[in-house]
Amino acid sequence: MYLAEVETRAVQATEVPEVTSCTVKWDSWPASTISHHGQACCEIAREWMLANDFSQLGDAAALTGPRWLPKKYPWGPSPWPMHWCEAVGRKKLDCGAHQAISQELFTARGVQSRPAQFVQQFSEEATRHWGHKWGEDQVPAGWIDGDVIYHEGCAVTVEGDEIKLWDASAGWWIDPQQSGGYGALLSVRILDPSAEAPQTLSWGGRQLALNRWNTV
Amino acid sequence: MKIYVSGLYSGGNPQPGVGITRSLRQGYPDATLVGVEYSNRSSGIHWPELDEVWLQRPWDELNLSAHGEAIRALLDGGALWISGSDLETMWLASVFPEGHANLLTPNAAALARITKPQVEAHEGLPVQIPPYIPTDRSDWDLHAFCRKHDWRVWLKGPYYDAVRTRSWDSFEAVRTTLAKVWNTERLFLQAHVTGYEESVMLCAYEGELLGCVRMRKREITEEGKTWAGDVSEVDEAFLTPLRRILRELNWTGGGELEMVRDADHRLWLLEMNPRFPAWVHGATIAGVNLPALLVEGATGVAAQRPEPGRGEFTRVVVEVPVRSEFPLPPLPEHLGGGTGHSLKHPSGLPALAERLHKLNVLDGGDNETSSGGDAPTVPNTMVEDLLAQDFNRIETPAWVFMESTAADTFKRAAAMAHTLSTNQTRVTNAYSIKTNPDARLIKLALDSGFMAEGISLLELHKALEVGFRPDQLILNGPGKWWPEGMIPKEQIHAVFCDSAPDLKKTVAALNSGELKAKIVGVRIRTPHIPSRFGIALDTPETFKSLVESIATLPEDTGFGVHFHMASSNIGVKAWWRLFDSMLRWCQSLERLTGRTIEVLDIGGGWFPDDWHSVDHSDFAKAVKRAQAALPNVGQIISEPGKAMAQPTMALAMRVLETQEEDGEITEAVVDASIAELPMYFHYPHRVLTQDRGGDWKTLKRGKSQLMGRLCMEHDVVAANIELPEGTRAGDVLVFCDAGGYDRSMSYVFGRG
Ligand SMILES: [Zn+2]
Repeated sequence: MYLAEVETRAVQATEVPEVTSCTVKWDSWPASTISHHGQACCEIAREWMLANDFSQLGDAAALTGPRWLPKKYPWGPSPWPMHWCEAVGRKKLDCGAHQAISQELFTARGVQSRPAQFVQQFSEEATRHWGHKWGEDQVPAGWIDGDVIYHEGCAVTVEGDEIKLWDASAGWWIDPQQSGGYGALLSVRILDPSAEAPQTLSWGGRQLALNRWNTV
Repeated sequence: MKIYVSGLYSGGNPQPGVGITRSLRQGYPDATLVGVEYSNRSSGIHWPELDEVWLQRPWDELNLSAHGEAIRALLDGGALWISGSDLETMWLASVFPEGHANLLTPNAAALARITKPQVEAHEGLPVQIPPYIPTDRSDWDLHAFCRKHDWRVWLKGPYYDAVRTRSWDSFEAVRTTLAKVWNTERLFLQAHVTGYEESVMLCAYEGELLGCVRMRKREITEEGKTWAGDVSEVDEAFLTPLRRILRELNWTGGGELEMVRDADHRLWLLEMNPRFPAWVHGATIAGVNLPALLVEGATGVAAQRPEPGRGEFTRVVVEVPVRSEFPLPPLPEHLGGGTGHSLKHPSGLPALAERLHKLNVLDGGDNETSSGGDAPTVPNTMVEDLLAQDFNRIETPAWVFMESTAADTFKRAAAMAHTLSTNQTRVTNAYSIKTNPDARLIKLALDSGFMAEGISLLELHKALEVGFRPDQLILNGPGKWWPEGMIPKEQIHAVFCDSAPDLKKTVAALNSGELKAKIVGVRIRTPHIPSRFGIALDTPETFKSLVESIATLPEDTGFGVHFHMASSNIGVKAWWRLFDSMLRWCQSLERLTGRTIEVLDIGGGWFPDDWHSVDHSDFAKAVKRAQAALPNVGQIISEPGKAMAQPTMALAMRVLETQEEDGEITEAVVDASIAELPMYFHYPHRVLTQDRGGDWKTLKRGKSQLMGRLCMEHDVVAANIELPEGTRAGDVLVFCDAGGYDRSMSYVFGRG
């Protein structure tokens, strides 16, 4: 599933999450995934991503974030659905693509990672410019709502139920010690369909419930 | 209350004096704060919150005993002193060996125990010290340390300064500069640790910890200095041992432990500073005022508590008015043709270091200059080979073939290949002809079971002339088809293509019957590595076209992959990482092309010691990994490049003239030159000379320069060597380790 498609879907909460006003809009959005043509075109592209990640990582720890990905493919509007062979050829990728690819990279390294959905605070100034940028590329910008945005990243397991949150587009780990303000994480939902509910994960001392929005 | 605060330099690499002042002003609004400086170029003297400025002459002009007595009078009179400079702190510890109740700096014994890089006092803290080596070791050992740590090393001064040195020539240049600035050879090389920087700042009075905070750097200047940070509490696991250590050291004053936290969350201690850091006021803003706590601990006078903050701080650049009593000094004239001038150390800290050496407060200075480090060792075979020569009959400069060293080198390599071979995978050595095309070495390779690897058709013909069979030849490189018309008629062992057009050309030559090869393969260039060779894999497009091109290879030839990278340049660990990276790409190629890889040709410029002196366990493990990743690989061709040739020849030269200063030889001209030692800049060479008793001795580092015979500015074959006393014109010097590219790339110059 992918951003452009899901944003048109009706909001249909399947459970009663801790929904704040800003999460209602994106509650029905699943995390983005990259599609596969089932042919050599996508297989070559996917192999390139995984082998390249192995080379880029070098001797760094497996828990090192794949910052090379947004460096090679800076954050920007992306048309959906997206296949592997299309993703590698793009100049820019959006957060859904960064998340979905990073997810595969962490998994290939043997590191557990789950898709994470973020709601982040910015400003009307910032979101207006992003809206223009997406408009110029004729890509819908349903991820913007006033001064807050929907964003995706990876919840990477450090050990046991301890996780770190990787912002795969910014190329940094979100700081659990943050408080509110510009760029702050307001809400996070970590998705794991296989998880036995209810399960919580520990992020910098905070407890985050799986498969539901958590206000930060 | 009167408090003297020193260290007011406020440039890009600031001292903490201004931050201490701001914090003290917050804690003690009514205190008289006196800024102490040793240069009116240090802009912190103009900070408006200072009530007074006590400006001293720079350290090179200062009468140290008079200054010490003046400070004693101030302290006796009830004033407090907080130092913002490491060297001033060290000097004060010598002036007040018993300490002084009002002197808020650590004692000499405590300072001795935090000397970097080992920082003895760290025992018990949950930190590790990154690997290091003092630079009083031989150049040979220092180069080995750099290779071992992949040239990700810092050359650090004894008190200040740290410079990344990514190659031997940059290391040599930085070493010369730092040794000159700090008047000591006691520098050290330390391995780089990748991670996020954080610090613990503390203050203690007479051994009792009064307060501490943790700070993570959140913005860093180009010099690596804090520009923004967040402040938090120090956890108990750190605090408990820290409290004990400060008690043992009887610590008084501020302090900072500078650390790096790696991706696995391990902490590495870089240094412990005997003073507050420059970001000290950042913690005050966050609600923890350590300078005020220190004063409170020393005097019992309660300080005003800071407002609790958000825990984050940042810096901005602020202009302040210049104090009328200290107008700006004129800007010094540019030295001929120079641009700008540096404000580094305006107070003359290097001069203070030199004076402290002379006073024996610090180690270093003139009394150490005769040391020059250890002399490097050479294998016995090298000495045997030199003893076998009659240098009286050798016209210099001359290449000396080190016969027993060469025999030993090839014997070892043959034994290694034999040991590493398994039933599944045969390990075969290959001799890179370009490293030294001397027929004696090519013959030795043939007799030792090597294959011959050429980068041109001329090289292949040379191997055939010496006795190699065509099926023992490997051809690779970007210009391998040169010169035209010389492709061997018989089948050769392997050809490796260096580019997409090369692959096309090779396929055409195979299809037309012009070329016969058992194995055809590609040289790959894994991403993230600067190299001009091989087919780059750093874009999905080139990878896709490689996959498609491999499909065009004739089915009746075997397929192989060639991976060469100079281990001596990128480092030993980095080389093995690239090997694994190469295996990963090979797996992808097998999967996507359906072709199985039968031959791996690996190698490229290994430093001889790294290749021959190891227990081969790295290689043995690598063979296992290759077998696991690529089960059809039947042969691994190992081509360690210059590791074979480099030790096998030496360059003998004679001294033409010497120049002396104060009875010491400062310069000697020799009849060899960089035309015979073109690799001089890239790695150290072990230099030997025969003493009067006939024994060959390696020379240490020293103060003499050996100038080549060429009339060229950069013809210096040794910049810092200790020539034996009595060296005179006609004496023979032998540069070992010159059998690789020194020999094969030497050129004719200045011979008419
Ligand atoms: Zn496709």
